[in-house]
Amino acid sequence: MKFFSALLRSRNAVLGAFILSVFVAGAVLAPVVAPMAPTQTDLRGRLSPPSLSLTEIGKAPLGRDQLGRDVFSRILYGSRITLAVALASVVVGGIVGVGVGLYSGYRGGLPDQIIMRVVDVQLAFPLMLLALVVVAAVGPSIGNLIAVLALTSWTRYARIVRGEVLALKHREFILSAHTIGANPWRIAFQHILPNVLMPVIVVATLELARVIVLESSLSFLGIGVQPPYPSWGRMLAEGRSYISSAWWLATFPGLAIMLVVLSVNLLGDWLRDTLDPRQRERRQ
Amino acid sequence: MRLRSFFNGAVATAALACLATPSLAERLTVALSANVTLLDPAMTTTVGTDLSVISHLYTPLVIRGPDLKLQPALASSWEAVDDNTWRFKLRPDVKFANGEPLDAAAVKWNIDRILDPNQKAPVRAWLSAIKDVRVVDPTTVDLVTSSPYPSLPDQMSMIFFLPPVWSKSHNPAIEALGSGPYDLVEFKPGDRVVLKAKPNYTAGPKPAFDDVVFRVIPEDASRISALLVGEVDLISGVAPSELARIKNSGKFVVGAVPSTRMQFVKFNNLKAPFKDNPALRLALNYAVDKQAILDTLFEGYGSLNACQPLNESYFGFNPDLKPFPYDPAKAKELLAKAGYPNGLTIEFEVPLGRYLLGAEVSQAIAAQLEEVGVKTNLVEMEYGRWIDKFQNAGNVGSLSYLGQSWPTLNADGMLSLFETGNRYSYYENADFTRLIREARSTTDEKKRVEIYKKATESFCADPAHIVLFNQPTTYAFADRVKWTVRSDDWFRAVDVQLAK
Repeated sequence: MKFFSALLRSRNAVLGAFILSVFVAGAVLAPVVAPMAPTQTDLRGRLSPPSLSLTEIGKAPLGRDQLGRDVFSRILYGSRITLAVALASVVVGGIVGVGVGLYSGYRGGLPDQIIMRVVDVQLAFPLMLLALVVVAAVGPSIGNLIAVLALTSWTRYARIVRGEVLALKHREFILSAHTIGANPWRIAFQHILPNVLMPVIVVATLELARVIVLESSLSFLGIGVQPPYPSWGRMLAEGRSYISSAWWLATFPGLAIMLVVLSVNLLGDWLRDTLDPRQRERRQ
Repeated sequence: MRLRSFFNGAVATAALACLATPSLAERLTVALSANVTLLDPAMTTTVGTDLSVISHLYTPLVIRGPDLKLQPALASSWEAVDDNTWRFKLRPDVKFANGEPLDAAAVKWNIDRILDPNQKAPVRAWLSAIKDVRVVDPTTVDLVTSSPYPSLPDQMSMIFFLPPVWSKSHNPAIEALGSGPYDLVEFKPGDRVVLKAKPNYTAGPKPAFDDVVFRVIPEDASRISALLVGEVDLISGVAPSELARIKNSGKFVVGAVPSTRMQFVKFNNLKAPFKDNPALRLALNYAVDKQAILDTLFEGYGSLNACQPLNESYFGFNPDLKPFPYDPAKAKELLAKAGYPNGLTIEFEVPLGRYLLGAEVSQAIAAQLEEVGVKTNLVEMEYGRWIDKFQNAGNVGSLSYLGQSWPTLNADGMLSLFETGNRYSYYENADFTRLIREARSTTDEKKRVEIYKKATESFCADPAHIVLFNQPTTYAFADRVKWTVRSDDWFRAVDVQLAK
């Protein structure tokens, strides 16, 4: 309850939450809301312009694409793929990253050194290039896409979590747990993990926005979601060839990407401010 | 004072150089939609990119002009001495850039190289009838075949000759030392090929351009913008919907000519589900509304192919066969007969960047197939990677979208692409293969036409692919040049002149 009233106090957060819930609702209700199946073509109606006006919503509110598919329906179904892929990869990356970070920070010593150098190396490597190389090697599919996106993001969690663990490790309550002979698993998961979750949630929100952009970029380059399934990046790429004659093909998916990333970022910023105690103190 | 006169002199020289440059070095920049993979003439059959570039560097025996007629090149004349022997008279003055003569011995060395099984030359299947290359004298060469080969001179229009001595110590795939009108300056696969005219070239017409640059621009929209901003002088493979816009932007000439290339969806008939399932092959042919695709995506350009892998420009075309009608009900019926009453799922490979609107056409076909219950998993890939699977690895997907033509414009060459045993065929039709081999062994044109009629009928009863259409060759070029556009895929700088 306190959480929601805090949310309502921030105009940016409300805006972000509103935009994001519209897209989530669109994704969930896509089969009900969409006027056409996203892959259904109608060659005779190709490139018909948007029929959206102040007085009525036509059959193709955002126009038809180069194969006569409804752009609105494709954006709705595209949001399913974009959001699902982004969420899945953030969760997978998060679990791996938190696990590695906990181990590395708690164990210390040589394993910690090795893991952190691996993280350094991967952070120094351009993520886009890494994703391109991996997808080119294993072939494009949704599963591979999630794996690649998770691969590009686990390092951030690992770093943050390790730092927090190092700070917590020598606090009294951990030392006392040690003294009474608690098993290291119990200490890591029961005592340390709950205390590092806040920064993890903040990282996860910001990662979500980054991963959406990365997924769109990969699909734009043709190595993400394969046709005919709609993905915003792919729609943008296909629409680019028609930008001079049919602006709606690239414009709407581009807007969708922008709005979702904006909303996630607004929420992420607010979360960071709210959950970070130092920030909170400063505001009070 | 002395300093000043030095400057004056320098300025004057520079000014002279500036004045002189435009008339000396005219540059022609050509956009290619797919990569030039290699420069070894024996190791490629891709006319639109590899062989077109190679034809600027090397000389064939005969050459096909923009009017699609054969013209003399290295050979000044040719004749059939008997049923199994073609005699070519060579020009005496053709030399490679290092002084090596391009004589009968060099011709023999090159053809023997292609015929060597270890070389694995893709074009070998079309020359395997050559039993012996006989050097009569330095300017006369006899090609002796094991059976009559009436279209051999046509076939030789895509065979180019390397310098034998130079080739021993160099890699002709990435280097070139030619006998043609141009020298290779730079070859950057995936980016550009830069050529410079030989100053003392006498073996053919003198090209109008001293510098020719081929730039690889796979993206359609980028190709158009490169033309519009003047980075390139001519492009082809323009989406028909863009032609009017380019024309309206001012100084450009646009148009379309019918192509000798036929588009289709290839089946891999050597593996399930197409292997030994003629009903399935027929079913898919009834499931695609080809005319709708031409009317919409191609804005009415292009024409349907009759039920055979030939069109009107080929010798041996069968005018009695008609295109498959669009009949989804019949397609479903045949699917049930093929053992798939509830439909099936097939992989569909789409090479990108090479065929006009390839991605769009493939998705349209995939949607139409889905309507009769055939679901497809589209896999888009770069053309080079796909051609490697198709040509070298022998494991092309169950379906793939491609277009083929054969430079000889003869049923013999074109139908060989479907002959059992040919690496491009992926098709087993014993009757068809027997017939085209039979046709190859007679010189009687009438009899050959009769046999090709039977062969194309056999193909039509059991098609190797979803027969689609001739795609139009669309083009656009800056009006500072004048390009004689041709309907086969060859591009030659000599077909381009400066507009006066």
